[in-house]
Amino acid sequence: MEAGLALMRRRLLPALFALVLPAPVCAQAALRVAAAADLEPVLPPILAQFEEQTRIHAAATYQASAMLTTQIENGAPFDLFLSADLSFPGRLIAAGMADTAEPAPIPYANGTLVLWERKDSHLPFPSLALLSDPNLKLLAIANPERAPYGRAAVAALTKLRLYDSLKPRLVTAENIAQAAQFVDSGNADAGLISLTSALTPKLTASGNYFVIPRDLYPPIEQGAVIVKSTKRRAAAQKLLDFLLSAPVQAELAKSGLTPVK
Amino acid sequence: MDWQAFALTLRLASITTIVLLAIAVPLAALLVLGRARWLAAVEALATLPLVLPPTVLGFFLLVLLGPRTAAGRAIAALFGHPLAFSFDGLVVGSVIYSLPFAVQPLVAGFAAVPASLVDAARLLGAGPSRVVRTLLVPLARRSLITAAVLSFLHTVGEFGVVLMLGGDIPGATRTLSIVLYNQVENFDYGAAGRTAAILMGLSVLALIAIYSKGLEHGGARGGSRA
Repeated sequence: MEAGLALMRRRLLPALFALVLPAPVCAQAALRVAAAADLEPVLPPILAQFEEQTRIHAAATYQASAMLTTQIENGAPFDLFLSADLSFPGRLIAAGMADTAEPAPIPYANGTLVLWERKDSHLPFPSLALLSDPNLKLLAIANPERAPYGRAAVAALTKLRLYDSLKPRLVTAENIAQAAQFVDSGNADAGLISLTSALTPKLTASGNYFVIPRDLYPPIEQGAVIVKSTKRRAAAQKLLDFLLSAPVQAELAKSGLTPVK
Repeated sequence: MDWQAFALTLRLASITTIVLLAIAVPLAALLVLGRARWLAAVEALATLPLVLPPTVLGFFLLVLLGPRTAAGRAIAALFGHPLAFSFDGLVVGSVIYSLPFAVQPLVAGFAAVPASLVDAARLLGAGPSRVVRTLLVPLARRSLITAAVLSFLHTVGEFGVVLMLGGDIPGATRTLSIVLYNQVENFDYGAAGRTAAILMGLSVLALIAIYSKGLEHGGARGGSRA
């Protein structure tokens, strides 16, 4: 034990420090993007293209929009916030924590809600009828209080007059990506998830989806703000402009988001 | 205050503690009394959850023991439903996650019982189960209490496993630590403060109870002396 501790002090600790310390010193820190979980399958190639064109490295954190809002309110070092709705970035603007003169966040895309199930499911092919199927034991949704897709899911179920009967069978995921994971892992029978998740190669291979009719839920308008405490305003603005540019908007359309332009 | 979650948390922690003691007492006795070499591996396994990220455990329970694997289907048949999103699932997760908190104090307590007493009992013809029941457990009473309290508190404070496995179902898997998380995420800092105060108060009271008990016995804090 003693010898072990001595070895730890003499060899391991310096090695650990050598590993840890240079990291913050080297290179320029990445542009930090707080991104709604539905962007997880969409954003990485876009950020790679952005880096190729501008030499600005951007790193994204994916979470439910409300969670990112709490983090930014409490000083998380993000430069750009890409929400899955307008209300959470609006909240930051109202609190004076957004770097904008506009009264509202900048819309960059619209989200689409789909009903997804695995191909090997014993239940019928996804459709609105599946939602009232008595054999549907567990339906995964995202948390309606903090994930805009969860809010849309509850709105759609309420409009279909199914919410009360389905309520005991709903499992609530942290964010929309986890809702998809609950279904893909076989733990839930079906899920109301984002089209962006359903269109990923993995979920395309393992399941089928049904697009929930748009008149059943208020549009999932996704908005962005630049965070007030950013030290890289110009770079953040550049990324936002890039996201709104015609080629990138066209790319969003292919990955399950509806372009705003 | 979410009293349903409060009751659920206490129920989860109580059941977990009972199951854990039932597993940990024989396991700790085996580790202390046994001489086989492979017991070192068993002890390492029993300590693993102490250093294992809860996300690893959550992943195992959700995917490897999920309905898409043979092991998962066997478990689903046993419980009547998959582990995920159920109270039973949380009990299984908590038992694994808090195992070291029950085993470690008991191993320390049993090991502190003089070997001469154990040998004498054996010479007089006591089998291993009798040695444990009439000698080790009574003499290591304080370790038993420590094991129970730590298991209980660790389960009350569990978060990562519940977040990955729970599905946030009121009355089934929404525990106090999840309620607190929800309150923070929903910007309800006042309610979050009250929930946090309850979780904190519970822990402080229980720890004071353990330590004041130690002082009564002449300041013995090692948990090994009865």
